[in-house]
Amino acid sequence: MAELAGAFAASHGPLIIREWQRVPPEQKARMHAAFLELGRRLAKARLDVLVVVAPDHWSNFFLDNVPAVCIGVGEAHEGPPEPWMKAFPHREIAGDPAFGLHLAKTALDEGFEPSLSHRMKLDHGFCIPLWRMELERLPRIVPIALNSIEPPMPSLARCYQWGGLIAKAVKSYPQHVRVGVLGTGGLSHSIGEPTMGAIYEDFDRETIRRFSSSPDDLIGYLKSELPTHGNGSEEVRNWLVAHGFAGGRGFELVDYLPVPAVIVGCGFASWRV
Amino acid sequence: MRDYWLSKLFYDLQSPALASEFRANPDAVIDRYPIDGEVRKALKENRVPFLAQRTNAYLLRYYFFAVGMKDDEFIRRLNHG
Repeated sequence: MAELAGAFAASHGPLIIREWQRVPPEQKARMHAAFLELGRRLAKARLDVLVVVAPDHWSNFFLDNVPAVCIGVGEAHEGPPEPWMKAFPHREIAGDPAFGLHLAKTALDEGFEPSLSHRMKLDHGFCIPLWRMELERLPRIVPIALNSIEPPMPSLARCYQWGGLIAKAVKSYPQHVRVGVLGTGGLSHSIGEPTMGAIYEDFDRETIRRFSSSPDDLIGYLKSELPTHGNGSEEVRNWLVAHGFAGGRGFELVDYLPVPAVIVGCGFASWRV
Repeated sequence: MRDYWLSKLFYDLQSPALASEFRANPDAVIDRYPIDGEVRKALKENRVPFLAQRTNAYLLRYYFFAVGMKDDEFIRRLNHG
């Protein structure tokens, strides 16, 4: 049987690549160390499959069709399409169709209705954490594009349930593979709206604190506070998936720091699963 | 509210080749989209708040990045027109 082998979360943001030289040295060192620490934990988990949960930043989908949740079930995924991500070392990323389709089937059996893609482009939201973790080898990637950029978005409770659903799919998968989840994005930031550039450190720290309380308490807090703390903060949904995968317990903060140069409250976490 | 064709223009301008063409001759590119007069005028005048009401915030940012507006200026216009 397959095993739950790790859950992780990390921020992303274009300026982590485009404006890296503008990040003050001390913050740069902390971000670098946090990404590497997550990479070390991820390597130690000896994952065969990594489910990466991130928003699609208008790379695969447009207003013609905005899936709430799309699972990438292809044999391979395309590397990031953004020109400023061209140095990312993988132009093609191996997928795991067998596990991806098992996850999709499990979802449908359980009353979840994801969209499926057999060929996805994995944009910076998927790839920046994988890149910055400096992994020697990538596990097979099963991407989940979870809409957190175009309202209306999946409910916070549903995102948490998705984590549990992924765990259920792992436990019912007959192959001996080790599966982890990486949620990317958040914490607070604001893009293309009048508050652009704002980082809400108090909100971020309270969110982090509530990852150690009950899921209901965490979700209630986020439901109340997200509408006033920047549109980018909606990406915390992906952390909720990782949290649900870990059964809502075992959260461990690796680091958090607001980084104005990349306009993101940068968080890094893992869970004991 | 979403202006589909305005949003489609912004989405398509993620292509570096089209963005380059747009910077050289915006009218020629805009002509390929059924974008009405008021919206077209707002594009020409960089009326950020007007456009912000009609598209996704990320697409809005992509557009002004593609046309070369610095973030500081973009944020100023978001707040003050």
